[in-house]
Amino acid sequence: MGRQLTISCFRYNPNIPGDKPRMQDYKLEEYEGMTLFVALNDIREKLDPTLMFDFVCRAAICGSCAMLINGRPRLACKTMTRTLPSRFTVMPLPVFKLIGDLSVDTGTWFRDLQVRAEAWIHTNKKFDFNALEVRMDNKIAEDIYDPEQCIECGCCVANCITANIRPDFIGSTGINRLYRFLIDPRDERTDAEYYEVIGNEDGTFGCVGLMACDDMCPKEIPLQENLAYVRRKMAAAGLKLTFQGVKIS
Amino acid sequence: MELAKNLQTTINRSYGKTDLYVDLAQSISGVLLIGFLWMHMLFVATIVVSPELFNTLSEGLDRYYLAQVGIPATILLIIVHIFLALRRAPVRLRDMRITYRMAKMMNHYDTWVWVGQVVSALFVGVMASIHLWIILGAWPLRAATSAARVASTGPADATWGAFTFPFFIVFYVIFLIAGEYHGGFGLYRILVKWGWWERHTMGWVLKGITVIIVGLGIAALYTFTQIAASLPAGGVIH
Ligand code: HEM
Ligand code: FES
Repeated sequence: MGRQLTISCFRYNPNIPGDKPRMQDYKLEEYEGMTLFVALNDIREKLDPTLMFDFVCRAAICGSCAMLINGRPRLACKTMTRTLPSRFTVMPLPVFKLIGDLSVDTGTWFRDLQVRAEAWIHTNKKFDFNALEVRMDNKIAEDIYDPEQCIECGCCVANCITANIRPDFIGSTGINRLYRFLIDPRDERTDAEYYEVIGNEDGTFGCVGLMACDDMCPKEIPLQENLAYVRRKMAAAGLKLTFQGVKIS
Repeated sequence: MELAKNLQTTINRSYGKTDLYVDLAQSISGVLLIGFLWMHMLFVATIVVSPELFNTLSEGLDRYYLAQVGIPATILLIIVHIFLALRRAPVRLRDMRITYRMAKMMNHYDTWVWVGQVVSALFVGVMASIHLWIILGAWPLRAATSAARVASTGPADATWGAFTFPFFIVFYVIFLIAGEYHGGFGLYRILVKWGWWERHTMGWVLKGITVIIVGLGIAALYTFTQIAASLPAGGVIH
């Protein structure tokens, strides 16, 4: 016999007129190797088909199952229930638009971020699809692999006080995103061009250094290092440009 | 966030360099203040070695106009720092509520520490003003005057019930801890934001330094009370 789990779920459907936010308890039996993702599916199957939550990959790749588990943003599919007490709470991520219950819309937020951060390779090279792909140095490929692991789950946005109180802040994920392009030699943007995108309070200089992102990233991306690198790089870009008399604004 | 609003306003917005300068200035003001604070505490702690050393140092600072220039410069620096750093503090009620709720819900160490930094900042702000007012009101600063002040009790006035309480020692202990906490973790945050070091190790190093400085401060306060006890009654000070 496994433990008896009591999962206290946030319930609220903004689309039902008059619906009120509340917590609802579900009791179920734990079994070997159970993840919260499995537990929530059990609830939906056996106890309450109306419970809303998101998942796609159940393997910590798609980033859709992030939620507040006992107050901390984590991936439901990567959280073993045995690491939790027998009674715990699950709530939707803050910051993002609530779709219903545990489901939030991270898509709009991230789409907006990609546009603002211009998160794509900027190059003037014409793509020749007959030519062999240019080889990348192994060291650089490995360096890029780190920030590239971000699955846009939104945990680092949800646990950041700055992102919670300042809606325009691009968050750790946004700065990490830019870091990924900064170190990619294929991106031909100058530091001044990067500066224009994130050399401001909504970008790298808005970070207070609370490091919840670094402590709670489900993919364990070294965010402290990456964020500090971008901050130094952007400060250098900003200061140097004055020195050379080039205006960026 | 609506996409349309941000597409129109954010992408096309020209920021210039103000944000960079302000952020840099905040960190620089922090580094200068913590440098000042640690140096200040080392100077005060010379009392533990001997009152003569304390007096020599104090007279030296006066003679070469280091105190006369240093004190106004530090006051100015604190004012600048308050203006720069307060932009980051949750000042709206709504922001305070979010900050408190998030910190409590996540129970995340560094986030709580930051809340502590903001709260201790308020203590430091008020107490530094009182501290400056008092020491400048009894210039110059010498071992005996400081000892008498630290050890003084009050109000001992009949209209107040003739009770005495060591207000100053309590004031200084709270001030010392609030100041070191605010500055020590402030430096930690600056290094986290800009530096290369792994923050857990760095955090322990800074906590170590902070504990040593607080220890020195307590030792200095204790020495002052001992000196005061050996002074002739009635407070003839020299
Ligand atoms: C001797 C006095 C003080 C010292 C040594 C000191 C030191 C520091 C340091 C090193 C930081 C970190 C700065 C950064 O992250 O860039 C900081 C942050 C801060 N200080 Fe002070 N400070 C002092 C007085 C004050 C006062 C009087 C106030 C306001 C009443 C204040 C308000 C703040 C606030 C709100 C922050 C947080 C800013 C942030 O996290 O970005 N400080 N302080
Ligand atoms: S379901 Fe894809 S990350 Fe959890």
